[in-house]
Amino acid sequence: MKYSYNWLKEISGTKLSLEELIQGITMHALEIEGVEKVGKAFENFVVGEILEITPHPNADKLQLTKVSVGDKVLAIVCGAKNIAVGDKVPVALVGAKLPTNGMEIKEAEIRGEKSFGMLCALDELGLGSDHAGILLLEKNLKNGTPLKEILGQDDHILEIKVLPDRAHDAVSHVGLAREISALTGSEIEFDYDGLKLAKKKTAKVKVSIENKDLGSRYLAAKLDNVKIEKSPQWISARLESCGIRAINNVVDVTNYVMLELGQPLHAFDFAEIETGGVAEIIVRSAKANEEIIILDGSVKKLSSEDIVIANKKGALALAGVMGGKNSGVSEKTSSIVLESATFNPALIRKTKNKFGLQTDAAMRFEKGLDPNLAEKAMVRAIEILTHITDAKLDGIVDEYPAPVKPWTVRLDLNYVNSLLGENVPASVSKKILLSLGFGVKNAGKIFLVSVPTFRLDVLTPEDLIEEIGRVYGYEKIKATAQLVSVKPPIANEQRIFARNVKNILVGQGFSEVYNYAFYSQKDAETAKLKSFQHLELEAPGNLEQTLLRVSLIPNLLKNVRENLKFTKEIQLFEIGKVFLANSGGLPDEKNMLCGVVLLEEKVAKKDGKNKLRQTSFFQAKSLAEDLLLQVGILDQYFGELQEGFQQVSKAFCHEGRASEIKITSSQEPIGVIAEINPLVLADFGISSRVAFFEFDLKLLQAVSSAEREFKAIPKYPNVSRDLAMLVTDGTRVDEILEVMQAEGGDLLVDVDLFDIFDFEDGTSSYAFHLLLNGESRTLTSQEADATMEKIIASLEKNLKVKIRK
Amino acid sequence: MTNENMLKEKIVKIKQEALTAVEKAKNVEEILQLEIQFLGRKSDFVGILRQLKDVSVEEKREVGQLANSVKVEIQTLLEEKKKSLSSSFDAQAEKIDVTIPALKMRQGHLHPLTKIQNEIEDIFTSMGFEIADGPEVEDEFHNFDALNMPKDHPARDMQDTFWLKSENKKNRIVLRTHTSNVQIRYMETHQPPFRIIAPGRIYRNEASDSTHEHTFHQFEALVVGDEINVGNFKFVAQQFFSKFFKKEIQIRIRPSFFPFTEPSFEFDISCTICGGKGCSACKNVGWLEIGGAGMVNQNVFVASGYPRGKYQGFAWGFGLERLAMMKYKIDDIRHFHSGDLRFIKQF
Repeated sequence: MKYSYNWLKEISGTKLSLEELIQGITMHALEIEGVEKVGKAFENFVVGEILEITPHPNADKLQLTKVSVGDKVLAIVCGAKNIAVGDKVPVALVGAKLPTNGMEIKEAEIRGEKSFGMLCALDELGLGSDHAGILLLEKNLKNGTPLKEILGQDDHILEIKVLPDRAHDAVSHVGLAREISALTGSEIEFDYDGLKLAKKKTAKVKVSIENKDLGSRYLAAKLDNVKIEKSPQWISARLESCGIRAINNVVDVTNYVMLELGQPLHAFDFAEIETGGVAEIIVRSAKANEEIIILDGSVKKLSSEDIVIANKKGALALAGVMGGKNSGVSEKTSSIVLESATFNPALIRKTKNKFGLQTDAAMRFEKGLDPNLAEKAMVRAIEILTHITDAKLDGIVDEYPAPVKPWTVRLDLNYVNSLLGENVPASVSKKILLSLGFGVKNAGKIFLVSVPTFRLDVLTPEDLIEEIGRVYGYEKIKATAQLVSVKPPIANEQRIFARNVKNILVGQGFSEVYNYAFYSQKDAETAKLKSFQHLELEAPGNLEQTLLRVSLIPNLLKNVRENLKFTKEIQLFEIGKVFLANSGGLPDEKNMLCGVVLLEEKVAKKDGKNKLRQTSFFQAKSLAEDLLLQVGILDQYFGELQEGFQQVSKAFCHEGRASEIKITSSQEPIGVIAEINPLVLADFGISSRVAFFEFDLKLLQAVSSAEREFKAIPKYPNVSRDLAMLVTDGTRVDEILEVMQAEGGDLLVDVDLFDIFDFEDGTSSYAFHLLLNGESRTLTSQEADATMEKIIASLEKNLKVKIRK
Repeated sequence: MTNENMLKEKIVKIKQEALTAVEKAKNVEEILQLEIQFLGRKSDFVGILRQLKDVSVEEKREVGQLANSVKVEIQTLLEEKKKSLSSSFDAQAEKIDVTIPALKMRQGHLHPLTKIQNEIEDIFTSMGFEIADGPEVEDEFHNFDALNMPKDHPARDMQDTFWLKSENKKNRIVLRTHTSNVQIRYMETHQPPFRIIAPGRIYRNEASDSTHEHTFHQFEALVVGDEINVGNFKFVAQQFFSKFFKKEIQIRIRPSFFPFTEPSFEFDISCTICGGKGCSACKNVGWLEIGGAGMVNQNVFVASGYPRGKYQGFAWGFGLERLAMMKYKIDDIRHFHSGDLRFIKQF
């Protein structure tokens, strides 16, 4: 809300400078978001009185005036017709500069008549858009008074963020002034708490609240002899500087009181709501599909969750949110019914949100208001209206079935000191509470605190401790170490593991990205993930944020595409959650690790398998195997994709280039390694091949072993043998390795495929390097040869291979 | 001239020749060549020794002695020369242009948020904090209700929420709007005293610009015990930020409101650039706004299963991105989720 510094000073009586006030409010009360200097200097503008008006001899549309500006009388030529002798008007003296365009007023001769200044309309003063005529000022002003003194525009506006806990009372000048006086010890002179209802009733207005859940209080006052016109300048100026447009005297007074006290008010035209001379006001739930035309001209279709102010004929206003188009005051209005009420905040909130009506009234009602404030505001509004106009109060009706009284909170001063960590003397605590409007009864270390009804937020001892703490000053509380046990914290093994994995990957040349957890429907479709059940946002802000990811791949592919604009080879990884829908409850959240690899492939198809090992797939495989080795997994092997957790990845895999990663100790595969389907890549705008590996981090951690066991360094020399063979397509290397291991047994310690050569007929030659070791003895050449023969025999018997000799 | 003298003369001559030749030798190969030439089986020297069989015993002894000493002399000379030649080489001949760029290592980079998070985790761990985790998709109870933000409460407006479609209308599911859900989940299963941090990713349904993102990271600390107080919070915050920024940091707290704490604060740290004197980084106020904090609301304890009024605790949270932006002088929060290697490779 916007607060006027002048207004706050006026209410609180503070002597603080603007800077001191800002500092005080910031440190002890509320957060100030901005300060803006408003108002014009109005140098050389004064109040003048029209002494004489005569027609201009040479121009029908102009008049000659004589204007007293206190110390002298000036001749001024003027075009406006709304002035009369005796009117007080703003006069721009020679030398004044118009605030709007900076034009300087000079002595002039207009059609042969001298003019020594200018009479100003509202727009010429930069105070509005009204150019209907010269601005007429209050008649009791002294001639020659500098204009800036009466237009009160020289002010600072504080923009303050009031959080929901203080929205009941602090979104008003009186509320903030109360804070200021608590900080400074100044007194609020005006007796706002003394604004009590006069006992004057009226029979012309009847009020009923259909259901007590709709609202706790409804006050209606009938005022007669009302003449709708512009408000006096002091009211409209304050409204405008607080960001509210001035409309007419009645509406402006309701807004003025709202800014002053925080209670929204509404005015009905009595003639529009009465039947047979009586206005019967009913506060009720709207009927299903009931319609109302509200002030902004729109038609709203209501439901039973909306509250309306109605008479027997129908809805007159959308309670607490916006008035009705046909029941409000207009130029014809002569009697009004003024409403000051307290509605159910939750219902107002629903209606406000449903229709998107962020009105000043709704924003206050939805936070909850003190029903006793409604009375003060009503009295204050009547007071101002009858003061600035000739309106007469007919009477007031007050429907208030269950009056709210102050409540008591028991406060233990030991708790105050224990929670704040500071010894605040009892006398200081008491003084603070009193200054904020609380009542205090001492009983040793216990305070019985009576909470004024405008502090709806104060219900618990902690709420009071906050009041004491902030006014006392948090800056006075010393930083002190707490006593704690010295036992070491329990380590978060998942995070430690993830951190290790990240470090390993970075060592391999991977860079880490963080992607959004969302993607679009289109992304899901492109990655062939449409068939998986995704969690969906109820109201996505944009199309890119509709689904929660079931895989890290779609966003990683977008990263690849974007980065390909600047670089040729890419190794990216992400560790992040994927969300797999579960019926009813929370989804399965899996922390996934996904690495994508794009190697600039200089390999043509005819290059054969040997060169194939320099492709993205084998690069990814090499990195994944190195990662496994480093986290302590030594027994991985590769197999066709089966059903399982990697089902998701299967959707976008290149079916001929995909494998799951298994280990001997686990039934479940621990990861996937594959190339992305080239058609998927193309749809993502990538023309190169991209491979990836993927692990469920929790699974990987479960099978990894950080502990290593030392194996003795071989005491006896290795014997090495080379073995080359012709292989027809279809025989896989792991089948060959399996046979070798089966026959070689413990003697075979290592096998390395060191050369592949492809022939035109589709067969290939594989050359292996085998290492044999006797472990407890030196292996003889004969023993080595015998083992090799066993291996060769078995290979030729069981597989389609031919040993080259 | 006697036979004996002739032999002696030859030996001396060979010695002279050898000395000169070895002197002139330029590399090890020449030395090996000279060795063969002067001492090899077919050398003149060995030829002379063979002739000794034809001389008298007396002469044999005399010439033999001379020959031996010359042989040793030449051998020594050759060895020395060989050594000196092989321990030096012509550096100029092998000169290279050292400014030719070396082949690049493939270089990987951690995301800056990971780096910051690691740093923060390490500091808190060293102060005895446990690191707790919780789900990113959360139910309404743990994200709102238990944190004293009942349905229809205006406080829920403070956090624009991504709601997820769900069949369960009573306890709907959301993308968590803060890491405070971890507080509840931890307290449901642990008893005080404890101190934890809960770092993690959170989501707010708001438009993004250079300082706002719908996806960002929060760091939350929660300390609960019998007598934890505001002064303790100030102390821990001061210790943490001083360690993080590697300089003495002051903490300033201002009143605020959060449903899950009472009293609630905003907290500022003394400007990391000017130390509080006022500079452009802190817009001349000397303080930088960092996060929110407060004393845990008793309603939150009750929702987590603790008795009302038994424990006291503080909770505080701040944004990881903001710290990273301060530390690395990053001007746009959207870089973090851009996936742009030109950004990531700077860290």
